[in-house]
Amino acid sequence: MKISSFKWLFGRNSEFWPTNMKTGMWAWVGHRLTGLVLVAYVFLHLSFISTASTAEGGASFDALMETTSQPLFVAMDFLLVIVVIYHAMNGLRVVLFDLGVGIRRQKLVFWVTMAIAAVLVVGGMLAIWHLVFPAGGA
Amino acid sequence: MAEQRIATSKVAGTWAWAFQRLSAVLLIAFLAVHLYVAHFMDVGAETGEEPLITFDEVSVRLDQLVYIIVDYGMLSMVLLHGLNGLRTVLFDFDMFVRRKKVIDVALWVVGVATLIWGIVILLPFITNAGG
Repeated sequence: MKISSFKWLFGRNSEFWPTNMKTGMWAWVGHRLTGLVLVAYVFLHLSFISTASTAEGGASFDALMETTSQPLFVAMDFLLVIVVIYHAMNGLRVVLFDLGVGIRRQKLVFWVTMAIAAVLVVGGMLAIWHLVFPAGGA
Repeated sequence: MAEQRIATSKVAGTWAWAFQRLSAVLLIAFLAVHLYVAHFMDVGAETGEEPLITFDEVSVRLDQLVYIIVDYGMLSMVLLHGLNGLRTVLFDFDMFVRRKKVIDVALWVVGVATLIWGIVILLPFITNAGG
């Protein structure tokens, strides 16, 4: 990357300056950012779980599960839920777009997929709420 | 500036573009199965306190070959989709476009090595599955 590229990417006149971005560009940038987060997560997920599985009898696997089921970790899992659902739903929109579905109504398709994403995020929240806030401080 | 940019598919390749879409749809299905199996499915064994995932519980499942096939399938799709996505992001921001071959080889090495690692990790369960 050239030195001037930095200005090209992040300067006031760049296409990525917040006030220069329209819906589709936000969706595009969001897809890249969540994608990078997910690649990092997947490799952490694989390395932690696989190395914990190699010990005889799975003692370190169970210890890892014990740690990661604590409320703080489950709360971070909820952030993961948001990232995954956004990436999946926006990705679905990209696939539809590439198949020629809804090209003339791109913005509408974007907001419909985001509405579905919001419903799924609420569903995820309801599913893990009791793990983040255990009743009676158990 | 828009006119400076080259269409991603021209840099990344049509096959990569098409496969990224196919693996995307497959991954939505795999992820739904993965979450259901890991967190909601009852394996029908006394495997400790819910909702904690335990090694015993996972072992009960992995004794059936179908779960191992699903895991290998999901792992290969995740690696192809994730690493190809990483490649797309790099090329989108004009990084390493001149070093495309190097990036491609490096990502293939990482992907294949991780896949082999994943296969090796689950091998003991396959040998158990028979008896």
